[in-house]
Amino acid sequence: MSGMKLTLKIWRQKGPGAPGELRSYGVQDISPDMSFLEMLDVLNEQLIKLGEDPVAFDHDCREGICGMCSLVIDGRAHGKDSGKTSCDMRMRGYQDGDTIAIEPFRAKGFPVVKDLVVDRSAFDRIMQAGGYVSVNAGSAPEAHSLPVPYEKAEAAMDHAACIGCGACVAACPNASAMLFVSAKVSQLALLPQGGPERARRALSMLEQHDKEGFGNCTNEGECEKVCPKSVKISSIARLNREFLRASVLY
Amino acid sequence: MIALMNALIRYATSSIGKKQIVGLTGLMLCGFLAGHLAGNFLLYKGEGVFNAYAQFLTSNPLLPYIELALLGVFMTHIGFALWVTWEDLLARPERYAVRRNAGGRTIGSSTMIYTGALTLAFLLFHVTVFKLSGEAEQHVRGLFGVVIDCFKSGAWVAFYAAALLGLGVHLSHGVQSAFQTFGVNHEKLTPGIKAAGLLFAAAMAVCFGMIPVLTKMGRIG
Repeated sequence: MSGMKLTLKIWRQKGPGAPGELRSYGVQDISPDMSFLEMLDVLNEQLIKLGEDPVAFDHDCREGICGMCSLVIDGRAHGKDSGKTSCDMRMRGYQDGDTIAIEPFRAKGFPVVKDLVVDRSAFDRIMQAGGYVSVNAGSAPEAHSLPVPYEKAEAAMDHAACIGCGACVAACPNASAMLFVSAKVSQLALLPQGGPERARRALSMLEQHDKEGFGNCTNEGECEKVCPKSVKISSIARLNREFLRASVLY
Repeated sequence: MIALMNALIRYATSSIGKKQIVGLTGLMLCGFLAGHLAGNFLLYKGEGVFNAYAQFLTSNPLLPYIELALLGVFMTHIGFALWVTWEDLLARPERYAVRRNAGGRTIGSSTMIYTGALTLAFLLFHVTVFKLSGEAEQHVRGLFGVVIDCFKSGAWVAFYAAALLGLGVHLSHGVQSAFQTFGVNHEKLTPGIKAAGLLFAAAMAVCFGMIPVLTKMGRIG
């Protein structure tokens, strides 16, 4: 098999807090049909054969829905393809001889665990602070008893599409997680089920966001450009309204 | 009362609250700029009208209180903006080796702290020359004369032009950003708000900037 030859500059870091550096590796026989992660698999097979430590990177579903990829490729979270995660990106966008820089998502709230793996449990703690609906469990209610207008259901779904990957944080010049928080607050604020805890949710999730050391949104709009699920910055405007409303009411 | 104080502290120390305070004070300062510019236009009417306007302003007994309030708005805007920027710097302790913008940033949005600092430096010079020096009272041609004398210097004109360009760049992001921060984002309204913000920024930079240039060219005076 003959394919592309590439030079990879990959962030290598032995563990949390350890010093790291960009190290160069050569890979060959890369098919344009491979996904970006499959290309990293090829590299790791080479490294294992040589007795070297393979590059650690997060992955799970490899079909763009789990939110585990956390690569910044040539300075852009999830790489150059819009609306896609790194695992969904194919190698056909690269030419033979290209050099690709691969770094982990960088933020105080996302400390590096090893190489390209970062700890995103801050997002779990933000969700635990209010990203849920407290309801008495029971059998499913009759659908007509709680009517939801079509437009609202669609808008809620647009926000619920967030997979919590953290690319918004990685791309934000201020390492702010506001797009994530806004998507999670909005998906529930738009539906009647989220109504009773609406104000408390906005306040507690934002408070947790701030505690985790994420920066402040300055409306740069980088987040929406890299979001693999195309969550828009108008979502952050909704969070800003929700927060203002909650500050007055709650 | 304690509950209200706690709520205010919670608001003003939260990330969105801080930004909304920056946004609100920024919009108030935009109102001040518009009022200031309206007064400046009287320079085109000549010495008599402009000096009468200056006299009208300085003779107002409420002026010290208004100035104090304005100072408060400026300090709040600057203080909270510095706070936000400082936290943003701390939020990414390790920088990227390769950084590429994804297409959201503008010159205005990425330089807010620098254009803000330039505007502040300009403001300190501006207030010193036109207000604190007391030259207007001593000058035979009043405040009008101080303006004319100041802009005889090419260096001053260049400094003013650069600073006002900086102000324009600052406002090009600041105005529309303040609306977004207050949650005003709508597919119908937002393009209009962004356009109006850019227009306001350009109008402020050009209309304020024209005065030193036209004075230097001898068209005012």
